[in-house]
Amino acid sequence: MERRGRDSGLRPAPPRGFRDILPTEARELRAIERALTETFSAYGYMPLEPPMVEHSAGESVLAGDRLIQFLDRDGSLVALRPDITTAIARLVAERYADASGALRLSYFAPVFREEPAMLGAEREFAQAGVELVGPSGVLADAEALALLAESLARAGLAGATIEVGHVGVVRSLFSTLAEDVRDLVLRELRDGDHVGAFRRAREGGMSDPAIAHARSTLAARGRGIEQVAGDGALELREVIHLAREMFKGSDPLWGVPNLSLMPALPYYTGIVFEVVHPDVGFPIAAGGRYDLLLAAFGAPRPAVGFAINVPRLHLALFGSGWRPASDRPIVALAPGDPAVTARLAARLRGAGVAVAIGGVAEPAGQRVVDATVVDETHVALDGKTRSVDELARELA
Amino acid sequence: MSRPLRFALAQGALLKDSLAALGAIGHDVSGITADDRRLVVRSGDIEFVRARPSDIATYVERGAADMGIVGKDVLMESAARVLELVDLKFGACRFVVAAPRQMVARSLDEYRHLGSLEVATKYPRVAEQHFRRRGIAVEIVRVAGSVEVAPQVGLADWIVDLVATGATLRANDLAVVEEIAPSTARLIANTAAYHVRRREIAPLVEKLSAWAASR
Repeated sequence: MERRGRDSGLRPAPPRGFRDILPTEARELRAIERALTETFSAYGYMPLEPPMVEHSAGESVLAGDRLIQFLDRDGSLVALRPDITTAIARLVAERYADASGALRLSYFAPVFREEPAMLGAEREFAQAGVELVGPSGVLADAEALALLAESLARAGLAGATIEVGHVGVVRSLFSTLAEDVRDLVLRELRDGDHVGAFRRAREGGMSDPAIAHARSTLAARGRGIEQVAGDGALELREVIHLAREMFKGSDPLWGVPNLSLMPALPYYTGIVFEVVHPDVGFPIAAGGRYDLLLAAFGAPRPAVGFAINVPRLHLALFGSGWRPASDRPIVALAPGDPAVTARLAARLRGAGVAVAIGGVAEPAGQRVVDATVVDETHVALDGKTRSVDELARELA
Repeated sequence: MSRPLRFALAQGALLKDSLAALGAIGHDVSGITADDRRLVVRSGDIEFVRARPSDIATYVERGAADMGIVGKDVLMESAARVLELVDLKFGACRFVVAAPRQMVARSLDEYRHLGSLEVATKYPRVAEQHFRRRGIAVEIVRVAGSVEVAPQVGLADWIVDLVATGATLRANDLAVVEEIAPSTARLIANTAAYHVRRREIAPLVEKLSAWAASR
């Protein structure tokens, strides 16, 4: 794919990794946003908008070299937010320190991440997600999972599965190791390096049978989970079961137990999940229970949530032939006498018709109906005259 | 599933052993040869793609290929996020820091006076991370080939290179200052494909893992 947004000659273009979103794409993104945020709100989640910029010195889910940072005029290091979850953790610790009970928060907003050049990666993209702060336990976990599934289904996504793992189960596989060794093993697993993880475990004194057991447990997916003993595995199955009770969906097997799931970020403590689609090489959404993140801001509270990568969702939707439901057509009104045209346009709009006076150079995939002014209450389409009300009925 | 499982193979030194491993676990790979101009070859349920080693990690990270065999050295330099599933144990080599045999003491003296060493390498990421971990200030000079010559022509004090036997270092009168990391071939998978296509991937992982363990 050709790189977009790179400087060419003297023509200014946005910096690498940033780009213009033109109307056709923007309309589709608005449709996705509407479907997602309406579903969030159906589960009782309230929208919020943290600032674009945060202090860089604080907690971050990403390493410093993944942040887009700059110095403020007063000398403090600030960063464009790399995600919303961290901002919400800070905000909840500050603004809801005394709140008890369940906080349900949602967002749809751009985030910013530094990416190496020439990998086709975008440095700005929209995330949509929720955080459920306060409750712990299977019902809260299942709520987040069901909401994710239902949001994606309502946005039109089909053929995706939600892979559900459990960080606690993976951790317990290495419980015989010394804590520092176990942390290294878990870090290797988070980096996707199974070879390195098992080598460290062996060097740390884990027996061959224990390693073989850990290896086969990590490979458990789907029904394989039934062979895995322990409370964590039971909890995982119960969460999926409850989530499917909350949202059946067209494919009842949308939630798949999968213990190989280890998100790259270290703050997860229990259930974790990732949405994968056969046509997209990256996860579309990810989330889980992260009871440790709020503690980092001095207000320890359980929390579970997810973030949907909106461009990847859009990619999967587009690949499967999805297009946004078409809005009412635009009437392109070829102007006649200026005063008559103005009054007619006002009447048409009053009747619920979208009117653009003159041509429409960028229809963005919407249907455009050419019309000419007859008088203050009539237009002509294809040579036939209609009243304002007739046209409104026809286009409704 | 819209397309067959796509398996990326690194051209060059690893290709022969990779094909031998796949052949040993029962895949017909006779249609894939190093000098074939076709880069994509279908064999049974798998579509094999040959590519430059350094591109394999990119293919698999972005899901253009579901699986691949590539050296750990390539993964270390690319920092691609892929799943490393099996150590296949062939293609052994190691990243080393090397310097002209007679010059190690002198370059350390220079380091004390000048505060920084120049290091030539084809692997800037591996080199930079290594020296940062060791707390040594270096300037990385990126070269595209024949890094062994860099100290002789005064381009750099030291080099970071990948060596198998060390013969090239010896021929150029270079000595290993320290080892950075060993490397062997790895079976890798795209993270999403490992979930979605587990039914196709799991048997390959199991068989190649048993094959590697038996060697």
